[in-house]
Amino acid sequence: MTKLLSKIAKRSPWLYRINAGSCNGCDVELATTACIPRYDVERLGCKYCGSPKHADIVLITGPLTARVREKVLRLYEEIPDPKVTVAIGVCPISGGVFRDSYAITGPIDNYIPVDVNVPGCPPRPQAIIDGIIEAIKIWETRL
Amino acid sequence: MASFLKIALRNLFKGPTTDPYPFGETFVPKGLRGKAKYNAAACIACRMCEYVCAGGAIQIREVADKSGLEFILWHNTCTFCGLCEYYCPTKAIRLTEDYHTAHRQEDKYRYVEKGFIKYVNCAECGTPMVPISPELLQRAYRQVNREIERLRHLCPKCRQKRALR
Repeated sequence: MTKLLSKIAKRSPWLYRINAGSCNGCDVELATTACIPRYDVERLGCKYCGSPKHADIVLITGPLTARVREKVLRLYEEIPDPKVTVAIGVCPISGGVFRDSYAITGPIDNYIPVDVNVPGCPPRPQAIIDGIIEAIKIWETRL
Repeated sequence: MASFLKIALRNLFKGPTTDPYPFGETFVPKGLRGKAKYNAAACIACRMCEYVCAGGAIQIREVADKSGLEFILWHNTCTFCGLCEYYCPTKAIRLTEDYHTAHRQEDKYRYVEKGFIKYVNCAECGTPMVPISPELLQRAYRQVNREIERLRHLCPKCRQKRALR
């Protein structure tokens, strides 16, 4: 039964989005990637889910501000293993233009193990799709 | 009613609007700002790009053995704003239309654009200096004559001496 489930799960990783203090640019691109028919990420078998408990692939945007840090980490803990983390935009990866600010505690890989990076400010929907494909490849090995 | 039918008919024949991207070709809008490309041969190391870079992605520093300058652009903090390209006097740095930026975590710190400017020695006193690129001459002078061509191989001090003579 678990064998069958892991076989099926390979084909449909669910996406979950965490906004760690993003300016909303990358979130708009994520919404574009998923919700408008032009870029339709659901062709890859992915689906956005509302609860962290259902998530397989986590997409994180934003530079991890001091104010949301605890909440993001708590949310991340709630996501069941195995999970694949994708950092979207330059902010979670390096801090981007906010680097060295007193309000920023990132880069996010100091706190969370990141697997795939998609830099850009914001990245194109096609680049995000690239990142999700990369994440699905990792996801298949972890099941 | 007629207009509605027209739209319905048009959509029927147009096919799906979905971009076939991961499985097929996609479009790239003209002038898209993607990953920057650096041309060390045209660079004069004025460090303007380093100064204007919004994300602090660019670094120009002398290498350990003092044989030249190293240019490093870390794509992971570049915001594609294009200020470097705008302010570069010789257009040694250009933004390409390459937007494929996804990479694994192992490559995070290796995801850079690198270049190396080797010092040349001054033709008169032998002091190491940054070579003056032909792009700069073209920008600074209307015509490059032999005198300018000779000055090009001199360090700033020797150039001053030559000018005052």
